[in-house]
Amino acid sequence: MRRSHLIAGIGLLALILYPVINPWQPYPQGVMLIAFLLAIQATSWNIISGYAGYISLGHSMFLGLGSYTAAIIALHTGVNPLWMAPLGGVTAVVIAIVFGSVVLRTRGHAFVIITIALLLSAQIVATNWDGLTNGSDGITLELPFWSSDFQNIPFYYAFLLLLVLTVLFSAWIARTKFGTGLIAIREDEGKAAAIGVNTTVFKILAYGASSFFIGVAGGVYAYYQTFLNPVGAFAILGSVLIVLSALLGGRGSLYGPVIGAFIVSLINEAATVYGGSTQSRVLILGLILVAVVLFLPAGLLPTVQAAWRKRHPVETEYTDQTGALSHQPVAIVRDRLPSASSGPAGSLSSAGSLSSAGSLSSAGSLSSAGPLSSSAPLSSAGPLSSSAPLLEVRGVTKRFGGLVAVDNADLTVERGSITALIGPNGSGKTTLFNLITGNMPLDSGTITFNGKRIDKLAPWTRGHLGLGRTFQVTRLFKDMTVLQNVVAPLPDGRLRTMFADAVSGAEAARARDLLGIVGLARFADQRAGDLSYGQQKLVELAQVLMLSPELILLDEPAGGVNPSLLGRLTGVIRELNQAGVTFLVVEHNIPLVLDLCDPVHVFARGTCIASGPPALIREDPVVLDAYLGDDWRPQDAHAQ
Amino acid sequence: MAQFVQALALGVLIGGIYALMAGGLTLIFGVLRIVNIAQGAFLILVATFTWWLWRATGLDPILASVITAPLMFGAGWVLYRYVVVRIRGQAASMSVLLTFGIALVIEGVLNIVTGNRFRSATPAYFEQSFRIGDILLPKAQVYGFLAAVVVLGGLYLVLTRTWAGRAIRATSQNPSAAALVGIGATATAALAFALGSASAGVGGSILSVLYPFFPASHYDWISRLLGIVVLGGMGSLPGALAGALILGLAETLTATYGSLQWSTLVFYLVIMAVLLVRPQGLFGARLREDAA
Amino acid sequence: MIDKSVSRRSVLAASLAASLAASLALGLGACGSRPSEKAASETDQPLVIGVSLPLTGDFSQPGTEAKRGYEVWAEQINKSGGLLGRQVQLKIVDDASNQDTVVSDYTKLITQDKVDLLLGTFSSLLNYAASAVAEKNGMVFVEPAGGAPNMFTRGFKYLFFAQPATAPHQADVFVDWIKSLPADQRPKTAAYPIQDDPFAAPVIESMKDQLEALGVQTVYTQTYPADTTNFQPVAQQLAAKKPDLVAQGAVFEDGVGLVRSLKQLQYSPKIMFQTSAPSNAGQYSSGVGVGSTEGVFYTVSWHQDAKTPKNSDFVAGYKAKFENADPAEDAADAYAAAEVLAAGVTAVGAVDQDKIRDWLHANEVTTILGPLSWEATGEPKGKFLLGQWQDGKAQVVAPAEAATVQKVVHPKPDWK
Repeated sequence: MRRSHLIAGIGLLALILYPVINPWQPYPQGVMLIAFLLAIQATSWNIISGYAGYISLGHSMFLGLGSYTAAIIALHTGVNPLWMAPLGGVTAVVIAIVFGSVVLRTRGHAFVIITIALLLSAQIVATNWDGLTNGSDGITLELPFWSSDFQNIPFYYAFLLLLVLTVLFSAWIARTKFGTGLIAIREDEGKAAAIGVNTTVFKILAYGASSFFIGVAGGVYAYYQTFLNPVGAFAILGSVLIVLSALLGGRGSLYGPVIGAFIVSLINEAATVYGGSTQSRVLILGLILVAVVLFLPAGLLPTVQAAWRKRHPVETEYTDQTGALSHQPVAIVRDRLPSASSGPAGSLSSAGSLSSAGSLSSAGSLSSAGPLSSSAPLSSAGPLSSSAPLLEVRGVTKRFGGLVAVDNADLTVERGSITALIGPNGSGKTTLFNLITGNMPLDSGTITFNGKRIDKLAPWTRGHLGLGRTFQVTRLFKDMTVLQNVVAPLPDGRLRTMFADAVSGAEAARARDLLGIVGLARFADQRAGDLSYGQQKLVELAQVLMLSPELILLDEPAGGVNPSLLGRLTGVIRELNQAGVTFLVVEHNIPLVLDLCDPVHVFARGTCIASGPPALIREDPVVLDAYLGDDWRPQDAHAQ
Repeated sequence: MAQFVQALALGVLIGGIYALMAGGLTLIFGVLRIVNIAQGAFLILVATFTWWLWRATGLDPILASVITAPLMFGAGWVLYRYVVVRIRGQAASMSVLLTFGIALVIEGVLNIVTGNRFRSATPAYFEQSFRIGDILLPKAQVYGFLAAVVVLGGLYLVLTRTWAGRAIRATSQNPSAAALVGIGATATAALAFALGSASAGVGGSILSVLYPFFPASHYDWISRLLGIVVLGGMGSLPGALAGALILGLAETLTATYGSLQWSTLVFYLVIMAVLLVRPQGLFGARLREDAA
Repeated sequence: MIDKSVSRRSVLAASLAASLAASLALGLGACGSRPSEKAASETDQPLVIGVSLPLTGDFSQPGTEAKRGYEVWAEQINKSGGLLGRQVQLKIVDDASNQDTVVSDYTKLITQDKVDLLLGTFSSLLNYAASAVAEKNGMVFVEPAGGAPNMFTRGFKYLFFAQPATAPHQADVFVDWIKSLPADQRPKTAAYPIQDDPFAAPVIESMKDQLEALGVQTVYTQTYPADTTNFQPVAQQLAAKKPDLVAQGAVFEDGVGLVRSLKQLQYSPKIMFQTSAPSNAGQYSSGVGVGSTEGVFYTVSWHQDAKTPKNSDFVAGYKAKFENADPAEDAADAYAAAEVLAAGVTAVGAVDQDKIRDWLHANEVTTILGPLSWEATGEPKGKFLLGQWQDGKAQVVAPAEAATVQKVVHPKPDWK
């Protein structure tokens, strides 16, 4: 990475010096400044479509918006449009945020399509709003005020400056937890929400951030063109070039879009110079696009970098678990607890739309259908304690069509306990988890956490309140490094946390410490997807710890984990519990449950049928009958 | 009143034709989770071919769909098996970019081969109308509508009454479960892509009579079709039908009682409003990947 | 003149300037001169005329025709000894109907290729941007298209529009014809469907004002967007008003589309006028059906059979070069633009941009479109021709001196 910054610096120096060394070359300067303009757009596009993975096919709209803003103001005030260019950026951001907050509530393909619709709508408005935009006649601007000898040199530097600012902006975003959160959204949006990432706000902000510099560049561009009209300002081919540039160079990378933009501009110009009168340009662009998607989907820069890394492997740092534990990990966990329990900080999550949280868990636990109907709860009363319980589930019901997955269920988790939730497959345990963490909306009932109703809150807000979970099948962000995975969670919704540095500084140090706790610090810079399944479970636990949770919901922590790792896992759970973290564990490994947990709740047919200390549960005939059935006898547990 | 009925009738006729064109798009999306941006280019490609066929042999353009539909079926099959299949398992956005690239390639080839000029097929009946009382129904529109209805009906039968059709529907509802019961994913996907392309074959032939077209017209068409599909709910065939009728009626009614200039914008605003209330569209089921 | 291979190399080098080495090579390799310094013309070299045309993209149709027009002109002038005794060489590049590219193209032609002269491109949208580049560099810019009114409000001094009139005056000749009718034959009511297009709209809007002043009642006005494909609603509403005159601001496909829809509704007005569309001879008649063209009026800058000087040479040259195809108006306009430029150069006797500009402002030029002369803004002072389809052929019916037939079909017969 440092090497690429060096190369970028040298390239920048060359570009700055070029007009000084050779000033009287307006044509190459003109070609270059169009390349800068494309690079500004591609780099900005990369923020929403590269980092967050939401492809925009209408991004050239912001260029048009910026152009029109600067030109209209210039027309009415007589001020040179160049000075009005920043206002173009403001217009772009306002439009992006307004429409983003409608469109980005949805996921996936609708966004792509709406971005095209927005571009075309902008064109329609510009064409028909005669009074403001002069309609299809367009707006003509005065010629530049400087001597014609200088030709495009001022524009050259203006666009170069904007390009540098755009790249710095993009680099800054990538360094922050905001940037990490965007990548998390790209990789697994549901999981991102579960670790405190306010996905709605993140996406809208990213869309806004991706529009600003394009808008500013639009203002400058209007003056460069001296003319703008709806068809030219909102051309779909402009968007094609943006997408192609970022894709070719490597979306998601910092310099990829810039490199891609230079190459695409070069090809475009070469098609003019050498293509002559053959009508080949569209065909060439199309073929390149198809070829890149098929054969170079990651883009040039990441492919080259990967090849480089393969030939020059980096040594990973080594930290073993005992070494890390000697850092007093317990104190680290406790450090952050007060801040999490000090009250709700989720001010940003006011959007709070539960509709975006509805879900069938990707773990697919529901496919094993549970019983269709259920008798009244047999609740043998959960353990009562004098202090207020940490989590209270009261009368919660969730239906999937005719199937009642959770049926009027009650559940209480006492502060400081390691509570177990056991029950046969399909008894509704994972669904209950999803209802508690907000991954799906409940049909009726209430959930109270720390004395606060949470059942209408967004998943990330529940995360901010101190509720963390792991998944039955781990859902790490496989293409991120282990460290990035652990840095990504947001313990609160404050802007300061959102824009905290994620690469160095306190957050990264804390993430390394947490990795130390689970004994995986030496894998910090590995790709998360490359770890073994058991290791991924541990990383997911570290990830949850980043939230400084008061309550952690573990969904089958032992599933697929080998015995030695399992030992480490239970050790960590016990230590954390001693440090004050409460656990709710769903698990099929009964000996582990009986050993680790107290109390134990038994779920069957979507409701709690028995509760009590493990010794009692082990003997309870109702439980044995309903759950443990024929294939389990107490002596088996002893045998193990 | 007559004017209103006339506007309604025209809106329904056009809506039916839109429905056929959008149906292929939504079918492909339902099974493959691919937004086929090239569907518009398919239409223009077929329209150009139909025009050429009509000029060369005098074959009726709408009847020509008997030829173009199987051709596009084959082309869609080949395109899927040798090109589109390569991006299976990649991020959904890549499919958008790939099909966008395919659309550009088709536009580029048409530019070079046929030249950049407007064309439209003009069989003898294209300027005649059926008269029912005060209502005039242009023959070309009626024939086009009938062809669209026949094809949509056929498509419905294929999807509900044949094993292959049920395989397609099963795959669109639950790909992994479908695979478990022995439905070959690749073959089903290729079949769906081919069927979607074949519907563009019929749609393109109809288009060649009803609308003048040139290679770059595909942008207009794809944005219209995408609007329909998003409005109706992506992947939903009834949704495409409803969205298409809404667009057809919106076009004729705004033109009759309002200003044509804003009708496209009105349509997009309706889409935005629908998305605000129902992010999954009118008939759309929430997809698994939509769930948080 | 910079050698072609050097200019190519510098393009490549510029684009790779991200590396210092390439940039240095460029800095040392390509030594330019101030843009204001003009390369001295060498008389034994061909005279190079630079043009950027939209050969691909939205405007590729007129762009391709313009290219043909320029080529026919260059071939003919070279046969007759060239310009100033030098052979003429056209340097035509494609701008893909893209404003960025057209600016970059003309900048390159002027500053890099140091072409001697420029000719204009097609459509106002591109000429807006292109003419600004020419103006900045003090190059005479004769444009074959680009009659949008805004073009001539920018105070440009090197700009000349090589058509007889700008858009708002295009229909004057049609209004004159209406005025010439006896009162009982004039239309009482009129409908104006107009495409939202910078050329088509001003023509009809100005016609509407003039006809309303004559007492023709407006019963329908509708501006429809450029991408309208479905003309049923327009036709249906318009037909319901039963206007005597339908005057459509059409570009091309919308002109065909409306006629087809009117035919389907079996409504045929007494007078039918369309801008532009009917002048695309072969495509229009095949689009609406030959029988249905009868009596349709349009205005046009040029006609194939016009008795203007050199017109028959142009038509013959065009047919010889392009497989006996009929030349389009756009090709003729381009040919005329080149004639204008050549007249200026010949009169001045040198490639001196300022002198050519001054001469063109002061004089009238004879072209295949008829005589052309200009206001200080570059706006032409002439009038268009009134065309009408008769017996499957596009004819000129007014003004009398340019008419190709004497009779005017009125009222228009029913669609066939």
